[in-house]
Amino acid sequence: MRSIIHNDFITMLSRIIMGAIFIYASFYKILEPALFAKSIWYYHLIPGLLINILALVLPWLELVVGLALIGGVYYRGAVLWVNIMMVVFIIALSSTIIRGIDVDCGCFKAGGSATGSATESLLLDFGMFALTLQLLVSKSKRWMLQRIT
Amino acid sequence: MIKQTIILIILSILLSVVANSISPENISWIGEYREISDGDGPIVPPSAEAGDPPFIDINIANIEFATKTSIFVDARDHEEFICGTIPGSISIPFEYMPDELEGYFETVLADVSLDYSIIVFCSGEECDLSLHLARNMQDLGYTGLKIFFGGAREWDNAGFELERREECDQ
Repeated sequence: MRSIIHNDFITMLSRIIMGAIFIYASFYKILEPALFAKSIWYYHLIPGLLINILALVLPWLELVVGLALIGGVYYRGAVLWVNIMMVVFIIALSSTIIRGIDVDCGCFKAGGSATGSATESLLLDFGMFALTLQLLVSKSKRWMLQRIT
Repeated sequence: MIKQTIILIILSILLSVVANSISPENISWIGEYREISDGDGPIVPPSAEAGDPPFIDINIANIEFATKTSIFVDARDHEEFICGTIPGSISIPFEYMPDELEGYFETVLADVSLDYSIIVFCSGEECDLSLHLARNMQDLGYTGLKIFFGGAREWDNAGFELERREECDQ
């Protein structure tokens, strides 16, 4: 098990998968911040004053972190960020299911109400979280543009 | 590791500031979102039928308004429209309907795609012009329709501003 977690190829594969997902997820949010703000609003989780700030900054964080993961630049910071974001996404989605709010996750496209895909999105998030956890504990240092100290 | 996480978030904030300042789709940094209703859900008239466009409550109407992701269509007559409507609304009085409807859409909704989100409303619960207009628009192929049956009155009662035009006083 330890050899799998620290394996260079598996770690690189996880970096590419998670980096690509985060980069892809950032696109519509960057292009259409108003739609993403609406998706956040549907969660009913954060104060209205903060919704647009989150809608503007989070997509760029996803893009920057996705690129950093794949390229191996500021790598440890990027790994910490993807784990933080996955935990936040899982908590947010779980809370909508628990509270009975029928919300589309808004992860990859404009979200809204009543598409009932929160459970599927949550399962996907747990799968992605397994990969980001692997990146967190992996000691692989290969194929980085910036040397890890 | 902490230093790198700080660098990454600062870089993201800088990029978002630059992008939002030059993007045609930019939004204000501080949104105007409020929770208004008590969660009772939308007002649905007894005349509603299966297949009608979905009815939305004041919260959804407000979020669509605040994010500018829908077009609001006022189905009341012109006089009521100019004397107090949801700001930015388009007037399509249902009194002209349904024969003149298509010609009307070719002008005021000429640049709007059939699947764009359109919210139709009128005065309030006693008024079903919004329902009839929405049904007619549905027949013409509009697929992104929603009905805000609480209408201008619920909007006003929630403390939101109504747009009143100068012609109203003349």
